Amino acid sequence: MIATITTTTPWTDVFKTSAGAIYQSDAERCWYVDFAGKVAKFDYRCLLKLRKSVYHIDIEQALLNTTKDPDVEIIFICACDHCYVLSLLQIIALKELLEGTFVMLELNHILHERLCSIAS
Amino acid sequence: MKDLLRIKSLISTEIEVLLNQQVKKEALSSSIYLSMASWCNRNGYDFSSDYFFKQSEEERVHQLKFYKYILDMGGNAISPEVTGIKQEYNSFREVFEEALDQEISVTQSIKNIYARCMKEQDFVTMEFLNWFLKEQREEEYKARRALELFEVIGEEGTGRWQIDKNVGQIKYDSEA
Repeated sequence: MIATITTTTPWTDVFKTSAGAIYQSDAERCWYVDFAGKVAKFDYRCLLKLRKSVYHIDIEQALLNTTKDPDVEIIFICACDHCYVLSLLQIIALKELLEGTFVMLELNHILHERLCSIAS
Repeated sequence: MKDLLRIKSLISTEIEVLLNQQVKKEALSSSIYLSMASWCNRNGYDFSSDYFFKQSEEERVHQLKFYKYILDMGGNAISPEVTGIKQEYNSFREVFEEALDQEISVTQSIKNIYARCMKEQDFVTMEFLNWFLKEQREEEYKARRALELFEVIGEEGTGRWQIDKNVGQIKYDSEA
C-alpha cells in the first residue's frame, strides 16, 4: 500500500467513484489508478489491457456459481508491474470506474477534435 | 487534459477491433485457398491448383497490409488463430462456388469497416481501404468468371479438363 504519493507533475481527475479514482498525468503520458488500497501507474497499453481483462470477467456467471470456491479473481496483466486480487464486489466497482474513465477519455477526445476543427 | 488516447493511436478501439477481424478473415481466406490448391492438385487439376496457390499468396499479402497498418497507426495487431479449414470438396465446381462465396464475404466485411469509418469520419482508414475495394473488384470478377466457365464449356466429356486449362488464363485488366 502506498500511503503518500510524491509527485512533481500535476494530475488531472479523469473519473472518481466511491471505490476509487483514475488520474491522468499529461507530463508522464500515463494514468494513475487509485483502487483497492494502492495507486498504480498504467501507460496506454497497460490501461487498455486492464480494461480488456476486467471486461472479460463474466460477473453474472460468477454470481450464479454455487461452488464453494472463494469469489476472488486475480487480474494479472502481461508486461505490467501490477496485479490485482479482487473480490466480486471490487471487480464490479473497478469495472464501473474503468467504464466511466473511458467515457471521459472519449469525451475529452471529442472536445479536442471539436476545438481543433474550430481553430482551423 | 491532453488527449492521450489520440496521441498514442490514430485509429479508434472499434476500428482496431474491426481491422483485426479483417486480418483474421484474410488469414482464413489464405488457408482456404491453400486447401483448395491441394484438393485441385490431388485430383489432377493442376492449372486450378496453381491459380489457388496464387490466390492464397495474395490473401496473405492482404493480411499483412492490414496487420502493418494497425501497427503503423499505433494499434495492437493480433496474430490470428486459423482453424477448421475444409480439406475435402465434393466436386470441382464446388471448389469455385466456395471461392466466390469467400470473396463475397470479404467484400462485405470491408464494406462494413468502411461504413464504420464513415460514421467516425476516419478518413485516413477510408483512404487505406480504397485499395482493397478496388482489389475486391478483381477478386470477385476472377471468381465469378471461373464459375462462368462451367456454364460456357460444360463439364461433360473433356469439359473439366478444358475448364482447368482456362482457369489459369483468367485475367482482370480493367482500368476503370
